[in-house]
Amino acid sequence: MTQSSAPVIRVADLKKYYGDVKAVDGVSFEVARGEVFGMLGPNGAGKTSTIEVLEGLREPDSGNVEVLGLDICQHPESIKQRIGVQLQSVSLYPRLTVTELLDLFGSFFNHRVPTKQLIDALDLGERANAASMNLSGGQQQRLSIALALVNDPELIFLDEPTTGLDPQARRSLWDLVKGLQEKGKSVMLTTHYMEEAAELCDRVAIMDHGRILEMGTVPDLIGRRFKERAVFFDSNTKLPAERLGRLGGVTRATQEDGQTVLYSMDVPATIGGLLAMADELTFEPRNLGIRQATLEDVFLDLTGRALRD
Amino acid sequence: MKTLLGLTVANLKGLTRDRAALFWTFFFPVMFVLLFGVLFSGSGDSKVSVGWVDQDGTQASAGVRQAFANVPLLTLQSGSLEDEKAAMQRGDVSAIVVVPKGLEAAVGQSKAGTQASVAIELYVDPAKTQTTQVVQGVVAQIANGFNLTVMGVSPILTINQLTLTSTNISTVTYLVPSILAMALMQLGIFAAVPLVQQREKGILKRMGATPLPRWKLVASNILLRLIVAALDTVLILGVGIAVFKIQIVGNLAVAAGFVFLGAGAFLSLGFMLASFLKTEEQATGVVQVVQMPLMFLSGIFFPFDFMPDFLRSVARFLPLTYLGDGLRQTMVNGTQIAPLALDAAVLAGWLVVCLAISARSFRWD
Repeated sequence: MTQSSAPVIRVADLKKYYGDVKAVDGVSFEVARGEVFGMLGPNGAGKTSTIEVLEGLREPDSGNVEVLGLDICQHPESIKQRIGVQLQSVSLYPRLTVTELLDLFGSFFNHRVPTKQLIDALDLGERANAASMNLSGGQQQRLSIALALVNDPELIFLDEPTTGLDPQARRSLWDLVKGLQEKGKSVMLTTHYMEEAAELCDRVAIMDHGRILEMGTVPDLIGRRFKERAVFFDSNTKLPAERLGRLGGVTRATQEDGQTVLYSMDVPATIGGLLAMADELTFEPRNLGIRQATLEDVFLDLTGRALRD
Repeated sequence: MKTLLGLTVANLKGLTRDRAALFWTFFFPVMFVLLFGVLFSGSGDSKVSVGWVDQDGTQASAGVRQAFANVPLLTLQSGSLEDEKAAMQRGDVSAIVVVPKGLEAAVGQSKAGTQASVAIELYVDPAKTQTTQVVQGVVAQIANGFNLTVMGVSPILTINQLTLTSTNISTVTYLVPSILAMALMQLGIFAAVPLVQQREKGILKRMGATPLPRWKLVASNILLRLIVAALDTVLILGVGIAVFKIQIVGNLAVAAGFVFLGAGAFLSLGFMLASFLKTEEQATGVVQVVQMPLMFLSGIFFPFDFMPDFLRSVARFLPLTYLGDGLRQTMVNGTQIAPLALDAAVLAGWLVVCLAISARSFRWD
């Protein structure tokens, strides 16, 4: 609030090793106040390790980490007073009710939002006196977010907030995050879902093997990598990669799970060449289609893996 | 302080809403007291039933029966020899006394100056040493008295019985502090399970992301268990006093000190177990594996002197032996296994060592 232009997160060359495993291997980024920043990556990419260092749950092995202008190693307590944390798949004291849990967590902070207000904001009114173990998946996730908001935090960390939720619950969570941003909060989240990142995040970082591979706004990332459009089809057989690469207009080709994607500067030439090749090798390109490149393509291109859990 | 209390209340609510936990912490020890109490409270004054076979059927034999019936320790059951033998084989009577035909005739001859004798037959089971001795003693005494009376001789040496109550405590009184020791051991060791569960579910980690200091999390856990220890003590002693009339004679302040020291020692053992266990299933299993031998090898349920040497030397290493001993000495003046100071020192030693190991190895996620 005082230094409104200063970044809420500043990470420089963060490293976190577990024995020989380089979970986080030299990561640097900043998150501006009021920004929703997303971290994308497959399981084991180092997203959770990074976010847990920022939350003060793990000590960094090296690097500088500042949260809300304070060094995480020197002022973990003051930082924890001002941030909100939602962890990946945490269940809470199973036999306490929603109200009791919010009261309990509120008591840990100097500054707190009234429980009633949180219950209303997260639409948990009907379940206020239900034990947390009796809540549905979506309700538990909303409770978990309500707990992250008990201290009216300036910066909120959400670790895979919609994993395991049905599409409707996911949508309502997205609206919630947008609402937080409208109130001037900063949010850092990790996700598996490209759609979620594209919908919510001002900027995303794509992470794999403990490093950030690319960072920027979603259109920026797509434009930077792909001036091409994507021609995609399914086939039963694996096709010779170098033949695909030599088709007219193709700049890059990937094959994953039976689906082939050809990135093309000249779509008609590519399709013409593809059909001729299909005739010659006697295969049938099924479900043939053309689309703009998406964040998914960026990810596939960067990591060589599809981002699915 | 407020957060500490709030957290403890939250934990207490969690416990009281968990039926299984409630059962093991409160009902199980009380059940133990009731069960052991009912089993052992009757054993002190149980009577010996004796089968009575009268083959003479005269006034003389009726007189002998009266003499037996006057012995308070015995209950007589009359019948034919066959019936009584069957009853003894069933275990309904412990011995059979047979008065043969010719008793009155023999008495008459004796009074007339002719020598005559009749043998009372006594059936006993050699395997039941204690009963056999009692019945043999009674029969010999009565036979002797009968002989003297018939011959008109007054006894020179008689017995004048006086009573003096010894400090020998009843079995139930001995057992109640033992059951309390068992309950304290269980509540301490069993604390490992919810801890492992909270770690596995990420609750401990989630708490770590709040400004709540870790020591408060530990302190609230200790506070919760000490409250439960106090409740358990009141409950177990209460049932012992109300139902079985045991007498608490020791120094209550020192006894309370032992309750909390014991709970603390076993709680730190629970923390130590929680440091090395990863899953809830593991924890539930290991906790049983640890508490079972403690329960049976520590000799809390039978006097130390009755144990074989081998067991006794095992028991000397186990903390539960010293908690049981300390509680017995301070509550019911039981015979000591070790001096009170040694009991306290052993428990404090376990507490410090286990806590130190936990502090080094406990993982929060």
